[in-house]
Amino acid sequence: MDVFLQVIVNGLMLAGVYIGLSIGLTLIFGVIKVVNFAHGEFLMIGLYATYLLTTYSGLSVLQAIVPVVLLLFLSGYMMQRTVIQPLLSAPHHMQIFATVGVSTFLMNLALLVFGADVHRTEAPSALHTISVSGINLVVSQLITLVVAVCLAVGLHVFQSRTMIGMSIRAVAQNRDSAALMGVNVKRVYAITFGLGCACLGLVATLIAPQYPVFPTVGTYFVLFAFVIVILGGLGNVTGAIYASIIIGIVDSLAGYYISLALKEVICFCIFILILIVKPTGLVGKESGA
Amino acid sequence: MLIQNFFNKRLVALVVASVILMLAPVVAGSNYFLHIAVLICVFGGLATAWNIVGGYAGQISLGHAVFYGIGSYTTVILMLRFELSPWYGMLVGMVISGIAAVVVSWPTFRLKGPFFSLVTIAFLEVVRLLAIHDQDLMGGSSGLTIPLNIGFEWMVFREKEYSYALSLFFLLVSLGVAWLIRRHKMGFYLLAIREREDAARAIGINLVSTRIGAMVVSAMLTSMIGSFYAMYLTFIDPDATFSLAMSIQIAMFALIGGLGTVFGPLIGALIVLPIAELMRGWLSSYANGVHGAVYGLVLVIAVLKFPRGIVGSLTVFSSNEKARIAALLRAHPEKEHMLAGRPAKVVADKVILEASGLVKRFGGLVATNNVSLQLKQGEILGLIGPNGAGKTTLFNLLSGFLKPNSGTVRLMNENGEPVQIVSPTQCARLGIGRTFQIAQPFSGLSVLENIMLGAFLHTRDVPEAERVALDVARLTGMESHLSKPASELTVGGMKRLEVARTLATRPRVLLLDEVMAGLSPTDIDQAITLIRQIRDTGVSVLMIEHQMRATMALCDRIIVVDAGAVLMEGSPDEVVNNEKVIEAYLGSGYKNAA
Repeated sequence: MDVFLQVIVNGLMLAGVYIGLSIGLTLIFGVIKVVNFAHGEFLMIGLYATYLLTTYSGLSVLQAIVPVVLLLFLSGYMMQRTVIQPLLSAPHHMQIFATVGVSTFLMNLALLVFGADVHRTEAPSALHTISVSGINLVVSQLITLVVAVCLAVGLHVFQSRTMIGMSIRAVAQNRDSAALMGVNVKRVYAITFGLGCACLGLVATLIAPQYPVFPTVGTYFVLFAFVIVILGGLGNVTGAIYASIIIGIVDSLAGYYISLALKEVICFCIFILILIVKPTGLVGKESGA
Repeated sequence: MLIQNFFNKRLVALVVASVILMLAPVVAGSNYFLHIAVLICVFGGLATAWNIVGGYAGQISLGHAVFYGIGSYTTVILMLRFELSPWYGMLVGMVISGIAAVVVSWPTFRLKGPFFSLVTIAFLEVVRLLAIHDQDLMGGSSGLTIPLNIGFEWMVFREKEYSYALSLFFLLVSLGVAWLIRRHKMGFYLLAIREREDAARAIGINLVSTRIGAMVVSAMLTSMIGSFYAMYLTFIDPDATFSLAMSIQIAMFALIGGLGTVFGPLIGALIVLPIAELMRGWLSSYANGVHGAVYGLVLVIAVLKFPRGIVGSLTVFSSNEKARIAALLRAHPEKEHMLAGRPAKVVADKVILEASGLVKRFGGLVATNNVSLQLKQGEILGLIGPNGAGKTTLFNLLSGFLKPNSGTVRLMNENGEPVQIVSPTQCARLGIGRTFQIAQPFSGLSVLENIMLGAFLHTRDVPEAERVALDVARLTGMESHLSKPASELTVGGMKRLEVARTLATRPRVLLLDEVMAGLSPTDIDQAITLIRQIRDTGVSVLMIEHQMRATMALCDRIIVVDAGAVLMEGSPDEVVNNEKVIEAYLGSGYKNAA
């Protein structure tokens, strides 16, 4: 029973990572209606940036948050401006090719610069375990979960209370009408893309102590992010939270009770099933069909 | 004649150039060049096969390595376990890939754009992880090594020239199949589905079987090349075989060469692959990711700067369609147009289309409330009513696009037996042609191709479809627009194209949804004449129309709907003078004001 409880708790902790991973992706899809296949590579940038900052400039992981988040915001902003914006009215497949191209480029650039070796961000204090009535919790995981939930709430408040947040929602509803109301759509899109990537920056620094970084690390995570975003309903932040919890727990249970090697297979099978049976996700309205 | 010569000269030049290009690596004699030539053939062939799904059908599969891997693994496993020649292994692999293609594409045919890509990636990942997991048969992550049996029977040769010849053969098979599909009905159908699904269904195209067919053919070709390439490499492992990066590469070559063109994918591979390989050769001692980074960069630049690809952008490759169509028009002078050829066999008062008790609800809204109507043979029936009365919903029910909550739609088939309408495709095949209120042209295709697509309902033959299309174009006054892309037509032109495409399906019942809206007075006169001509050949017409002059001039009977229900039915004169009708359009205040 204790083991089962521990597995469930581990799943919840994993959900924290998944929330952080998917929230930016779903925000970008909800507003810009673009599926960013390079999402994982932005996470990779965040992880490498954290690794470099903590290893070579002596910053702690927490201190690295600000520069990494800024870097990711700028990367996202530039990506929207240079690659996505010119393709907004192009056919869907052009956006797929463009973001896949960016993904391939970034992944191989990392291979070129850092080599195929695995790099680890050293932060021993983050990996301390605390025990609450027999259940073990890793500090860094706990922080990730708390921050991810705060991020989701913060994003909601931002979108409903601030002017720019409301512009983002307006543009998401109807691009042309928002433009007629004086919203600078290009700017809103670039900021949204930047924000989506900034969320990744935050998560990247927090998970850096637990996950080593290598050039293809993004591919591993991005598929989970897609599973969650679609399960939760595209563009739906609340849905993404529920979906993260579900996938986190499924992942954890499958890893323990079935096989560590096959847990991903199970998650991807769920993904395929969802896409086939209910492409609108659990709570979503946007349809993939 | 001039055009004929021009084509021939170009063809000869092309063949000569291809032969020189094909022989070059052999003459050069260096193993490195031969290796690159094999790579070009393999990836050119893979990209050509991918293009059948990704380019023609517009479904961007990023999991094509699944089929490549099935080919590789099947061949190698059969060879290791049963000492079976890879030639047989290749055939078995193709069959398995074909089945896998049905498994992948049948449940996912509805998915669009990025969602289809995601599902193919997910399939690829699942297969890759299972291959890594499976130690016994597939050798797990360490992969399988191919025993060194040399000879044609084993597809392994001492001299690279033979491998190259074989790779060239498989490339030509792939190109040949892609070329055949593009030039035949299936290619046209795939493009139509890619451009607009609803319009494709309305002219009788079965989306599911057409898409699955494309996927199966593409998968089998991919698998075939996978089998060959495994023997060439003499070693396979899951990460390199079921590789997302490779799937992306294949798609990239097709995009850079020109999506949906026959030779584009090969040309893409021919240009990009050597550059990346040479860079890898020069820089390999320094860095690992160079050629991948080049691929990524080239892909982004290609999308932003040359979205139509090399073949699409260069006019050298596009035949002079305008001149060809002009020649066709001259070659088939107007004798008697298609309508005159069909004597009307009108049986008075014979019902051809019958709806009874149709109810359609959207949530709480009852869009169609117990509507029954009968369309008689050779009659023009008008359907009018204020905006939001449910006219288009009724059309969608009659043409199978919507399923009613209750009630039935029945059409008399050619033998006079009633058949229930269940789907748009079946409906079109039974002889109901419909137009869309908001024109739905196949935008990327020419006007001629748009009309031909309608004609394919009754013929498999391309020249025959072309002749029908020319006839219909003359009838509808589209002959001067034939070579234009449909997207360049005016709103009025697109409406006419809707009618032309529908007429090309030779319908017995014609459903016209506001075809006169936005037309000029002269155009309306022409349209009135045309609809009369069509009716005079025995076609029954049901038309939604706000244009009152046309409605009054054309209709034998008019049905007025309001708030989803039939308000009244009668001759044009009865309808316009009916107080209830006036009230429905103008509100009850109008009566008092008058």
